[in-house]
Amino acid sequence: MADPQLKEKVTELIAENPVLLFMKGTPEMPRCGFSMRVVQVLDSMDVEYGAVDVLPALQPLREVTAEISDWQTFPQLYVNGELVGGADIVEEMAESGELAEALGVEQPAAAPQAAAPGQSPPLQIE
Amino acid sequence: MVDLAELKAMIEAALPGASVEMSDETGDGNHLRAEVRASQFEGLSRIDQHRLVKAAVKERFDDGTIHALSVKTEVAG
Repeated sequence: MADPQLKEKVTELIAENPVLLFMKGTPEMPRCGFSMRVVQVLDSMDVEYGAVDVLPALQPLREVTAEISDWQTFPQLYVNGELVGGADIVEEMAESGELAEALGVEQPAAAPQAAAPGQSPPLQIE
Repeated sequence: MVDLAELKAMIEAALPGASVEMSDETGDGNHLRAEVRASQFEGLSRIDQHRLVKAAVKERFDDGTIHALSVKTEVAG
């Protein structure tokens, strides 16, 4: 059973951030290869996104996302309130152009470029 | 011990008619991959396609036999 307060907080974050990534580590310093892959895809898309580091509360957050989205592994990318997927799905959708469409941006011409500056600071779970 | 044949059978049982290829990319059971082609995926988002595959082997996640499964899905048509 997930912590109701944490669940409410997570639900709010998902509602407030059109593009939100739950990841291990931060976009500047990912602590897991799967999380890093999603960060690279998002940075290549030139899209602003919020990021939540799940490591400080990994197990409670697993329980929360299991209830909200029926998904317990991280990273998790949410777009407009819906879980899009983890690293595998995000990469597949990036290649096919579906991700750019979901994000409402132009499909980048080439492979992911170097990390773009100017992404929003990591969000904190309190 | 990870039993790839069992995982394949579990996915095939959940998605009758699907073609399933299981691989253990590093040979240590930590980087399992399932490539699944099924007609049941028609009309589903990718996340829902993946949910079907993960649900099929949930028991092996729950009992700790497997920790991660990389999934690639394709609609059989």
